[in-house]
Amino acid sequence: MIEVQHLTRRFGARTAVDDVSFRLQRGEVVGFLGPNGAGKTTTMRVLTGFLPPSAGRVVVDGFDVLTHSLDVRARLGYLAESVPLYREHRVQEMLWFQGRLRGLTRRESRTRAGAVLERVGLADRARSLIGRLSKGQRQRVGLAVALLPDPEVLVLDEPTSGLDPLQRIEVRRLIQELARERTVLLSSHILPEIEATCPRVIILQRGRIAADGTQTELVERLGGESFVRLELETAEAPEAVAAELARLPGVQAAEARERAGAFLCLEVRGAGDLREALGRHAAQRGWAVRELSWQRPTLEKLFARIALELEPARAEGAA
Amino acid sequence: MKGMLAIYRRELAGLFLAPLAWILLVCVLLYQAHFFLYVLPLKGGEVNGALVFVLGGGVPFWLLSIFLPPLLTMRMISEESRSGLLEFLLTAPVSDAAVVLGKALAATTFLALVWASTFLFAALCQALGAAPDWGWLLAVWLGATLVSALFSALGLIASALFATPLLAAFMAILANITLFGLPFLARSWRGPTGERLADLLERVDVLAHFQGSFLSGALDSAHVLFFLAWTAAALFLAVRVVESRRWLG
Repeated sequence: MIEVQHLTRRFGARTAVDDVSFRLQRGEVVGFLGPNGAGKTTTMRVLTGFLPPSAGRVVVDGFDVLTHSLDVRARLGYLAESVPLYREHRVQEMLWFQGRLRGLTRRESRTRAGAVLERVGLADRARSLIGRLSKGQRQRVGLAVALLPDPEVLVLDEPTSGLDPLQRIEVRRLIQELARERTVLLSSHILPEIEATCPRVIILQRGRIAADGTQTELVERLGGESFVRLELETAEAPEAVAAELARLPGVQAAEARERAGAFLCLEVRGAGDLREALGRHAAQRGWAVRELSWQRPTLEKLFARIALELEPARAEGAA
Repeated sequence: MKGMLAIYRRELAGLFLAPLAWILLVCVLLYQAHFFLYVLPLKGGEVNGALVFVLGGGVPFWLLSIFLPPLLTMRMISEESRSGLLEFLLTAPVSDAAVVLGKALAATTFLALVWASTFLFAALCQALGAAPDWGWLLAVWLGATLVSALFSALGLIASALFATPLLAAFMAILANITLFGLPFLARSWRGPTGERLADLLERVDVLAHFQGSFLSGALDSAHVLFFLAWTAAALFLAVRVVESRRWLG
């Protein structure tokens, strides 16, 4: 549905998007993740035909955004980050305007406007002035405007930014619903947003793709190893305890971390979940266990590492 | 021109939903009324002369023509660019030309309405027994509207070029004054710079074209074409500036 090939976009000397390629199948929901300034908005603006690419090609539903911009735009519903709305107009007037822009008839516009307002839960605010609505309500009006022409592809730039937690859950639920019938590309710098709504994630960093794949794939491939964290009460020397644990079956390495009074903290690496084996051993030795937890890599840790560029070589290798 | 009508209607509605349009309308009405009543005795009570003076014959009209269009067009692109609404319009399936044309038409329509306020005085005169020459008035009104279309198009170029509405308005007013004043300059340059440049500048004499046709009550297609052609050229430039914004980002 969306095909981006070697997309590069420069602003003067600054390269905002640098050789980015990815594909979206019809019906796929993909989250764009990245710190501010990573190139998410620029990529979306090229996709929606607002900015022409400096190099590379973007094809939506078989139409090139550069040569068939209007055809692409007719198939896209786009909600920009700024949620552009005419504040002096009423909600329904904004929706009718969108209908006229898209060449809908008066009747189509009115029925669609009613339907999308119902969908975003603002049916009772159709006659309210947009300028008087709360930020969350405006965000939902913006979504309604993008949805009005019933587009096959939805591009949503930070659809939940500036919302309170409750509104955020609402919008997230709405997006999940929409995703059932459409191709959706949404961006966020808030990780839980993406985790909750998008099976596939593209992580951008400094205009380049740092990672692309399903959440589980990414975590497995890039997340690093898992380990068991163990904190117990013992008077023995840390090195001795570590060496003893390392000899247990399945354990590859055990390392003593810090000691706080009678408590010793260890990290144990090995194949899979070692909690039972470690717990049993601690019980046999009479060590009181204070913490026993399996630390698995998460998307959040992966994202933090890419965003902070802790291991750039590793992140790049995966892309 | 798909979508142009939608943008035109939205823009016109937007003008009337903001207080600025109403304030301008009331001010112009009072301003025109003042000059009408001031000129009427000077013209010896001749109604047509006074009406035509208000609608295009005098300095008050040209002052309004230079200052009003930039005030209307200043926000149309520069402010929408800031608020993101331009991004909304330019990602809708309508051409850049449709966006610019819709906005220009809206500003021109509003100004046509402003100039039509003179018809109020004409109707009043008619009711009081001094029938005005409606054909002449209509010709002058059409001319005034064409002048407004040209100045609105220049205003849109400025609005597309400059980031803030205030700067856009200032630059548009400057452009209008320059365009209006060029022929006067040309006349004073005729000696030192030679005939060529002066001749060229006199070609874009807005005032002469207006006076030569509309003001005398004779519609001349050459003069109508003069305004339409220059307006089209200015609009074309405005569209290119909007397009170039996409490339510059």
